[in-house]
Amino acid sequence: MGNSSVDVADAGGLKTRGPPSSGPKLSKLAAIGNSKYLGLYLLAPAFLFVFVFFLTPVVLTGIFGFTNMSTATGITGGSYLVSRSSMLALKDRHGLDEIADDLSKVVYTIDEDGLAAAAQGKADAATLVEFRDKFLGQSFDNRRDIERAIKSLDSRPSSTRVIKAIAANFERSVLNIRFDTEEDLFAAVSDFGVSLDAEQKIALSDVAYTGWVFTTDNFKRMVSLPETTKTLINTMFYVFTTLILFNTGFALVLAISTHYMESRPAGFFRSVWLLPRITPPVLYVLMWKWLAWDTGFLSVILEPFGVEPRNWMLDSPANAWTFIILINGMVGASMGMLIFSSAIKAIPQSLFYASEVDGATRIQQIRHIILPQLRFPILFITSYQTLSLMTSFEYILLATEGGPGGATEVWALTTYMKALSNYAGALEYGYGAALALVLVVIGVTLSIFYLKLFDFKTLTAPPKIE
Amino acid sequence: MMHYRTALAALATTAMITIGSGAALAEEVTITVWSGGSGPNDNYRIDAIKIAADFLEREAAVRGEELSITVEGKPYTQWDEFKQAVTLAAEAGTAPNIVVAGHEDIAAWAQSGLIVPIEDYVDVDSWPINDIYENLFDISSFNGMLYGLPQDAEARPFFFWKDHMRGIGYSDADIDALPGKVQSGEYTLQDVLVDAKKIQDAGLVKPGYGFYPRVSNGPDYWQFYLSFGGQMEDGSGKLVFDKAAMTKFYQFFVDAVAAGVTRKNHIGTPWDQWYGEVASGKAGMWHGGTWHYKRYTTTEGLDDFFGNIQFSLIPAGDADGAANTITHPLVYLLTKQDDDDAIAIAADLVKIASEPRINALHAIKSAHLGITKSEASVDLYSGDRWAREATERLLPHASAMPNNVNFGQYWEIMWGGLEGSWTGQKSVADAIADVETELRTTLGDKIVIR
Repeated sequence: MGNSSVDVADAGGLKTRGPPSSGPKLSKLAAIGNSKYLGLYLLAPAFLFVFVFFLTPVVLTGIFGFTNMSTATGITGGSYLVSRSSMLALKDRHGLDEIADDLSKVVYTIDEDGLAAAAQGKADAATLVEFRDKFLGQSFDNRRDIERAIKSLDSRPSSTRVIKAIAANFERSVLNIRFDTEEDLFAAVSDFGVSLDAEQKIALSDVAYTGWVFTTDNFKRMVSLPETTKTLINTMFYVFTTLILFNTGFALVLAISTHYMESRPAGFFRSVWLLPRITPPVLYVLMWKWLAWDTGFLSVILEPFGVEPRNWMLDSPANAWTFIILINGMVGASMGMLIFSSAIKAIPQSLFYASEVDGATRIQQIRHIILPQLRFPILFITSYQTLSLMTSFEYILLATEGGPGGATEVWALTTYMKALSNYAGALEYGYGAALALVLVVIGVTLSIFYLKLFDFKTLTAPPKIE
Repeated sequence: MMHYRTALAALATTAMITIGSGAALAEEVTITVWSGGSGPNDNYRIDAIKIAADFLEREAAVRGEELSITVEGKPYTQWDEFKQAVTLAAEAGTAPNIVVAGHEDIAAWAQSGLIVPIEDYVDVDSWPINDIYENLFDISSFNGMLYGLPQDAEARPFFFWKDHMRGIGYSDADIDALPGKVQSGEYTLQDVLVDAKKIQDAGLVKPGYGFYPRVSNGPDYWQFYLSFGGQMEDGSGKLVFDKAAMTKFYQFFVDAVAAGVTRKNHIGTPWDQWYGEVASGKAGMWHGGTWHYKRYTTTEGLDDFFGNIQFSLIPAGDADGAANTITHPLVYLLTKQDDDDAIAIAADLVKIASEPRINALHAIKSAHLGITKSEASVDLYSGDRWAREATERLLPHASAMPNNVNFGQYWEIMWGGLEGSWTGQKSVADAIADVETELRTTLGDKIVIR
């Protein structure tokens, strides 16, 4: 966009509408206000948010899903490191036992080159002269020993850092040194006296690289794990049971029953059903836990009747599911209730009066007037809540953590666990992203299916009468 | 006029040199410390660094240098939140200088370059590093390099409620002899099941409370794998899945549920409820950590710990395994920073904070165990009966989980199998088969399956 109001007017396409120069000059805001792109201008912040908070994460998820990114690889890149673990991999994966053994050696050699290099650093001349006299030509097979040798000098440096800096000049091996590039690593390996052919270089680079690489292994792993099918079935069960029983089913019951009430009690009941939604999730689930714990409300109430106290929520998979669906359903129903209630309000009262004159019962009113008019809201709630339930795991995490024994583990919870929660801190960003990607694909597929099922085009077609 | 100008220029130059040299001498450093899993009793994880800063400043002053250190601490009560925060801050280039994390974090963080070996900055022959228990020193190392210094040590004991043991016929002498019998392998996990059943049958505790294990995932469960002869990592640094030992370990918990001494839905019991119950004699036997002592005797109001509770190693499962305990030390780690001097100062602070007298403050306040041998001679430490007895009875037998990049995945899979069989979702055989498939798929040649 330009700086002058004329530029704005141009951009807004005002030129075609009015005389460009004869009329009064439009202020910048008025020009925007009159622009035919006003809608786009107003939506710009929304586009920005969609781009930053939706599109970018989805694209990144898509990319991460095809990598082996984890805590161990880091996100921002890696280096090349010959270490005990990478040499083990060189043996296992590539069978290069001899090279692995050679590279695993630590060698510090006291030679003139090293002394010259040390002289360039912080080392004292006297220290180096004494070091040369006592140790020239000797080798050490670990760092601690060469440091001890330096510390044994009469003119030893007082600072540990200087001792370490001197020792570093004599290191000829490559073990436990990080190299930024492959070339640096190969050069150091060659200086160390280990020669590699092209194939061996590829193998070394493969095991020594600490960063992430692109791979399709995440999806292979997902397909071959028995848990995957179970989690998928759990997810479908959780989503559709909650959706059918509560988010649409019970929401409809609430909306219709409050429609037939006086407005004051109706408002009261609707407010009551909104409470679960406005209670903070942690507190809300805690109250359910108090209800279900083995020292909780249910156990206390039932004990006099001879029922052993138990953790009702985690007692069996059936119990756990019942609680999970109730916990989510109570929250989910309120949204449907609000949407359906207002949709019912929008139905012209005359339809109800006419049906009553015709002697229609309430059941008939619901069937022939209310439900047909609610097709669009039901489509909206169904598709919105399917996506929302599929990605929601916070209540399950707080209530059962997927237990007992993984019985209530759903896809989104697994994704969270793999990517962001591991007792030993081994977070698998790549695998987590691959799992999330599956959720994105399922979500988009289901949305398309719903649009077809409810015949979205007909629903949004202009009315024929007018 | 000329003289005046020259004098002014000379004055200005002198002033600038003075200011400049002053700036070079007076080094001001801010060191940030984040600690994970830290409750109100663990304040010395950060405070020890503050004490160390005071020492280091004084040492610098004695050398004629001016050093000013500001320590900023941030304790996290939870682990998940802390580990996410550390890894993400490191990726964003804003990692704290020092993190207090579990030793099992070393492998992954070292591999990714998030942390740097403390051995690059400190002399491992110097005190107090040369006084650290050898097993703790090894636990703080990875790929042959010392990455951090242990911040605390602990052990995970098995507990018996003395009155209930008396209730099933144990004399006081028998109870006193129990830790010895456990250590020698005479009293095994099978005896635990038998005695737990007796305690329940005698009506001393409610059903399901005979043996009352930890309520959530934790290093504790690896102890039972070790009890049946399992091995987590072999000598070469490869993970090991010992099917026979894992089967017997799962079977033990399934048997406990079948005998009715442990509840099928025990996992997920709230911690507060659990602590309250074990500290008030509602359970016959259980296992926990040395730090539980603090919780039982303060929050839970158990006045006479030693009069009510006996403790020992985790008993052997059978002849293939041995009595054991796992120590899970937290370690002070140094993160990679652009400013090498700041890392060096952080390393010195960690080293000073590990000195016996300073570390004893944390050990006694939080009921953890000491990290150095001479800590046992610090009055505060030796005067504490729990620290003294637990160090003597448990620490010499303590092993630790391996520092291995893939151990975290192995752990989650092991826990999934245990939970599945314990809660009756799967038979033990099915759980083991699933664990094997998952390990093969997830870890491939990085684990030895036998």
